[in-house]
Amino acid sequence: MTPRWVALPVAAVIAVAGVIGVQLAQGGGAYEPLSPPPACAERPVAAQAEGLEGLTERLVLLGLADAACTLGVSREALTLELAQSGSVSDEQVDALREGLRSAMRQMKSDGTLPQASDLLDEALTNADLNQYLERAIRALPDRVVNSAIKIDDVLDRAITSLDLRVLLTNLDDQSEIEDQVNEAVTQAVKDSIVARLKGLLP
Amino acid sequence: MAPLLAVTVAMVLADSAVVTLALPDILQHLNATVGQVAWVLIAYNVVLAVAAVPAAALLKLGRPEVLSAIGIAAFAGSSAACAAAGSIEVLLIARCVQALGGALALIGCLVLLVVDRGERRGLATWITAGVIGTAIGPVVGGLLTQAISWQAIFVVQVPFAALAVPAAMYRSTHPRSPARRPATADGREGADEVTGSLHHRPALRANLTQALLSAALTAALFLLVLLLVEGWKHSPATAALTVSVVPIAALCAAPLARLFSTPHHVEVAVGCFLIAGGLAGLAIPPSSHLGWTIAPQALVGLGLGLTVDRLTTMAMEARLPQATHAGWTIAARHIGVVVGLAILTPVFTADLADAEDPAQQAITALVLDAPLRPQAKIAVAQALGDELNAQHGQVPDLSSAFAGLDVDPDERAATDALERDLTDQLERAATLAFRDSFLIGAGLALLALLAALTHPRSPARRPATADGRGGAGEDPGLLDPERSDS
Repeated sequence: MTPRWVALPVAAVIAVAGVIGVQLAQGGGAYEPLSPPPACAERPVAAQAEGLEGLTERLVLLGLADAACTLGVSREALTLELAQSGSVSDEQVDALREGLRSAMRQMKSDGTLPQASDLLDEALTNADLNQYLERAIRALPDRVVNSAIKIDDVLDRAITSLDLRVLLTNLDDQSEIEDQVNEAVTQAVKDSIVARLKGLLP
Repeated sequence: MAPLLAVTVAMVLADSAVVTLALPDILQHLNATVGQVAWVLIAYNVVLAVAAVPAAALLKLGRPEVLSAIGIAAFAGSSAACAAAGSIEVLLIARCVQALGGALALIGCLVLLVVDRGERRGLATWITAGVIGTAIGPVVGGLLTQAISWQAIFVVQVPFAALAVPAAMYRSTHPRSPARRPATADGREGADEVTGSLHHRPALRANLTQALLSAALTAALFLLVLLLVEGWKHSPATAALTVSVVPIAALCAAPLARLFSTPHHVEVAVGCFLIAGGLAGLAIPPSSHLGWTIAPQALVGLGLGLTVDRLTTMAMEARLPQATHAGWTIAARHIGVVVGLAILTPVFTADLADAEDPAQQAITALVLDAPLRPQAKIAVAQALGDELNAQHGQVPDLSSAFAGLDVDPDERAATDALERDLTDQLERAATLAFRDSFLIGAGLALLALLAALTHPRSPARRPATADGRGGAGEDPGLLDPERSDS
């Protein structure tokens, strides 16, 4: 006859198996922080902002993902590295610049790159222009604006002229970043229009 | 007066882990480093382990009641010094003195309880008080820290210990009953059985099992409260109430064992297995909800109740002099605590550092993909960056980062959701950082199980004494494999 005390070890085995079994069944073994996807995994971008801000956000997020893929690290690791380290390598600057261009091409190909007329009102509101000049530009038909200013060309020029190294070392100073980007974009718009005008001349 | 002596035993053993929940407060108040503050715990256990056997030897040389009273008084005085300490160095010195006095008090109380209540009841009282003290130490410490301050942990011990000093002296001159043990041939009474000239070898197996289990229980009591307070950001009081499951379950263990009439070695083996299972359960909670710690803690508590008093009995019962064997068992238990801390602290510290990178990446991913406008994302990122830098090496508290954020009302809901998601990621990272340590604790409990299952080579034999008495067979209990040890 089995002694009564055998019930204790049996009960212990059942209790331990029950507790661990329930914990595992409820995801106990997998309660870990999110693992970032591989460096070149597709990262969908859903910008909440619209207009210039939304365009910038999409460009930066897509560009960051592309640069991370080029550098073989996750988008998050690259972001942390850029935010936390005091210096930026040439390799990172080149990857970011190419990533922003790639993002711009991607947006153009999937039709999410806005036209110049879509951004005109916001750009004029932000720009410190003579009121007569501003009214004159606002009076231009969208077709003319879109014909005169090609966003992809403007962005390409702005990305090329932006001093990314300085911009990344000033990440804590938001107004400095805005000034630098505005300056680069304004110059890019001028250069783009001039280039198109030159192109019209025989 | 026996209750005061029992309370003293409980306090001395509770002090082994009583400051666990107070360590963050001590660190802050005394401007100490993490390494220094860990020694508040380690120093006490090291000194208690080293001093226990010499304390038993000392008790043989003098009057136990006087030496016990001196030990208790030293414990009381040094407890007051701990509370008044203005620097970490003073606190560490006071803790060492506290452990020295505690060692003398602990063994002395055993002698006095045996004289007062007879060997079996006196030993049972001493063991039970020790188990209760060990189990409730972190709970009481956490509640006092939360309700009053970390100093209160030491202050409340002073009056109890101060009252126990006259109680110890009173015992010696006013025994409630004659010693239960028969007088020896040379006319000495019960106390001599505890401190006298008969000598058995230390119970190696029981003490080794106890040391391994103590190391494992360190994981349960020390790491769990750290996970609750530092990892999951609960208050010390909440953590204390949560870990109270362990002593409650421990109290249920003895009736359970009696219900099944379980042999002692089976009780110990089952206890080791339950502790291993409980620690494995603590390693894999499905979430940071406190409820998930209850069942594993209950397993640990039941295991604690089945093992510690039984192992202490096995290490001491029918072994003479009892005080020396009490010293060995205390030494084994606290060496186990120190070994546990020595193994587990670097492991979880390294794992916590390793968890920093995946946690930061998870936080970055959530911020980048948050349904917020860029300005809000940048503000959140800056606040989080400041918080992470300020809390380097510790799990950050994100609530303060979010509390200072100035976001549009229409983005408040998304910001709150982001805070919840980020907190969840941090809790996941902290839980992961403790996983290996809990599993190592479970491994130590399984090693204790192996040690417990090792078949005794032979029952303990009572060696011959100077007067020619002794040898196996004097005490029938020594020949009972369930009551003796190799």
